Amino acid sequence: MLRAPLHRALSLPNLRQLSPAFRNLSTTSAQLEKIEVFVDDKPVMVEPGTTVLQAAAMVGVEIPRFCYHERLAVAGNCRMCLVEVEKSPKPVAACAMPVMKGWRIKTNSDMTKKAREGVMEFLLVNHPLDCPICDQGGECDLQDQSMAFGSDRSRFTDIQFDGKRAVEDKDVGPLIKTVMTRCIHCTRCIRFASEVAGVDDLGTTGRGSDMQVGTYVEKMFLSELSGNVIDLCPVGALTNKPFAFTARPWETRKTESVDVLDALGSNIVVSTRTGEVLRILPRLNEEINEEWLSDKSRFACDGLKRQRLVAPMVKNEKGELVSCEWEDALVSVAKAMLRAGEQTAAVAGGLADAESLVALKDLLNRLGGEALCTEHTFPQDGSGTDLRSSYLLNNKIAGIEEADLILLIGTNPRFEAPLLNARIRKTYIHKECDVALLGPKVDLTYDYEHLGDDTATLKKLASGQHPFNKKLSAAKNPMIILGGQQFGRQDAAAILAAVQQLSQSLSSALNNKEWKILNILQQVASQVAALDIGYKPGVSEIRENPPKVLFLLGADEGTITRADLPKDCFVVYIGHHGDQGASMADAILPGATYTEKQGTFVNTEGRTQQTQVAVTPPGMARVDWKIIRALSEVVGTPLPYDDLNAVRQRLTEVAPNLTRYGSAEDANYFAQATELSKSVKTQLASTPLDVKLKELQDFFMTDAISRASPTMAKCVQAVLKQKSSKY
Amino acid sequence: MASRILSRSAISIFKNVSKAGRQTTAPFSVGAVRRDILDEELKKKEAPLVTVDSGTHPHQAGVTITVSGKEYLAPVTGIPEEQVKTRLVRIFKPTRNTMQSGSANTHHWEMEFDGRERWENPLMGWSSTADPLSNMKVPFASEEEAIAFCEKNGWQWYIEQPKPTKSKVKNYGINFAWNKRTRTSTK
Repeated sequence: MLRAPLHRALSLPNLRQLSPAFRNLSTTSAQLEKIEVFVDDKPVMVEPGTTVLQAAAMVGVEIPRFCYHERLAVAGNCRMCLVEVEKSPKPVAACAMPVMKGWRIKTNSDMTKKAREGVMEFLLVNHPLDCPICDQGGECDLQDQSMAFGSDRSRFTDIQFDGKRAVEDKDVGPLIKTVMTRCIHCTRCIRFASEVAGVDDLGTTGRGSDMQVGTYVEKMFLSELSGNVIDLCPVGALTNKPFAFTARPWETRKTESVDVLDALGSNIVVSTRTGEVLRILPRLNEEINEEWLSDKSRFACDGLKRQRLVAPMVKNEKGELVSCEWEDALVSVAKAMLRAGEQTAAVAGGLADAESLVALKDLLNRLGGEALCTEHTFPQDGSGTDLRSSYLLNNKIAGIEEADLILLIGTNPRFEAPLLNARIRKTYIHKECDVALLGPKVDLTYDYEHLGDDTATLKKLASGQHPFNKKLSAAKNPMIILGGQQFGRQDAAAILAAVQQLSQSLSSALNNKEWKILNILQQVASQVAALDIGYKPGVSEIRENPPKVLFLLGADEGTITRADLPKDCFVVYIGHHGDQGASMADAILPGATYTEKQGTFVNTEGRTQQTQVAVTPPGMARVDWKIIRALSEVVGTPLPYDDLNAVRQRLTEVAPNLTRYGSAEDANYFAQATELSKSVKTQLASTPLDVKLKELQDFFMTDAISRASPTMAKCVQAVLKQKSSKY
Repeated sequence: MASRILSRSAISIFKNVSKAGRQTTAPFSVGAVRRDILDEELKKKEAPLVTVDSGTHPHQAGVTITVSGKEYLAPVTGIPEEQVKTRLVRIFKPTRNTMQSGSANTHHWEMEFDGRERWENPLMGWSSTADPLSNMKVPFASEEEAIAFCEKNGWQWYIEQPKPTKSKVKNYGINFAWNKRTRTSTK
């Protein structure tokens, strides 16, 4: 009721610029009526609707819980969070109960303690005592909470007669190991599957002591986010299958790093022991991955040990690659480079870090080579890559939550960036955001309006003649996400121009001038940094002017093949895996993976982050930029940086945003980019918009690391098997 | 008091010198005065016990050593120069383990050095490192303390600010909302 006049005020044209401030006002006025409650006699002011558990957290009191999770719906079924509230005859479930004015919550009273001990006793009666052989041991909520809040003795004596409750294990695929006897029925996995993953595969059957969590029929948990239920499970019922019986959590060394297997740059923790990456866990970052991690990022870590290039190699007279010393390899590459002079080119792959990108560019530029390209293309017509806003996810990943209408064009975010899709789903569920898709019909885990896959529809949308334009212009915060894969098409420039024009026309009519509409979802982790540094997108330049020496900086997608190059072209591969790039190389300089170097990566929203060194590169492999630095010495034009700091100084010179770690700078000049896009001559082709990753089995193996991973191979097989099953 | 400190330092010099003297062929001659001081000092066992209520507590007497300017201990800590100049310290707040719901061990700041080489030891297959600082994780109450510690020791540092977390309004009722997408099916 109070908001109505404010809305009217907002619609006045002269107040439009003030609208963000006004919006804040309207929310603060609702926040003003805070209520006071007391947690263990400590007063705290909370907003109405806050639960007892949240209010307690504000004063630093953590109430034990099993079923409650901040990012899932409230279930209130484990009863571990029971606390006493003064004048209430019964203890209340803190996770579900909103506080009332003046409540005195006692989190440490006799009644609370007794309730907790009772709940814990019941849980332990039905829980096996197999902690010594349980993989959750050491990071088990049940273990910890039974120590902290449980009783010191048990009344359970029935072990000889009926025995403990036992449940058959389920087979839910190659990633999750289940020991269902350990399950305490918190239903976190069920809620995750149905709310976040959008796959309604898990549920409960039976009741009382016969209740079981499972899939009812034996079937694989078909989700690209399935690994997260391992984290969510407070006991050892769902554990990491590839990691089973490998290490205890207290034995591993944890390194906080960043994932590079998709363009989001999810934050991760790399657990290592004895020079091996054992597992990867997500790390909290509200702006990117919240608390989740996609299965590829989590489980492809066994690919880091397979197919590795461990020694420099040079081709001998017979045309066979033979391993050699670093000196020999560097000298033979340097000789070829000096012979080629200006006719040197480079292709950067999707996993390259900014340090090696800038070092390689500096080296080649010093020799006169200008053809430095990235594997993934971007149209050069119009403003090209000059304006950063044309190739970034401008609204940022967290910005999705403010959108009220999302139009996806030529992308399948579910498999291209699973956590971005999880955000869209979250917005879809909690903010009633609507989604439309222009592209092939795929399962996005939420309902969307399918606009077809025709480019003519895009043309209509850009000119404002499509029926969907009405919805777009009615939306307060519309968002358009264009898949980076469409830039591989012949008419990429026309597609980008159409999307830019559509965004600009919507943007000019928008009340909220801060809101951006155009978003590009990049395909790989290195692309934004490469474009920032000044790499040319796409390899067409190399095809047109075949070089005498070609550097492949982890370029494994096969965009350039031997057939594109003259016979005498000397191909140098700098990278970590024996994949497509290495197979066509004349010399191989083994590099480091993202867990082995401190490298800078810029994600699709333009956020700079760095990986940390978790393990040492295997064998004679070295950090990529150091290889290039050493090579520059042999060539005779030493690069002016000797340590990481100096390289980063150079990065700062080239693009200052590349060293502002953790922050994503806003890009602008949308209007100018749109103006320039009008000069694009390319016409939209009639071929329908398509995406590469359509089904779950396409998702697992997309880069050199995941292609080398046996776990990912098992996943593909398991998914195919599941698809052929009758369930 | 000051003279006592001086005399103690004189003794420590003397001790070192005499040790060195024993090893070399031509012993360094020591003056008789020093021998006196030594005897006297050796008789004393420790610093005299001072009771606080007597009002002669060193702090109350104003005998505190203040160092003017920035504290810089790198030259005297004995840490090799290479380990001071080439190391980069990351100052951060440890993240919560996503496997667990508790937030213990995440309320302090920590410092950590850049990763250095580790290798498998050929003898036993254990992992070895030549980095003496790889296991040095020091907890601090605040980031300022961590910075001060790094500056004092001459290490380059950078801060990783913790990511702010938003608290969401949790509502049990939305599971049963009849007109919202948050409605859950019976499970």
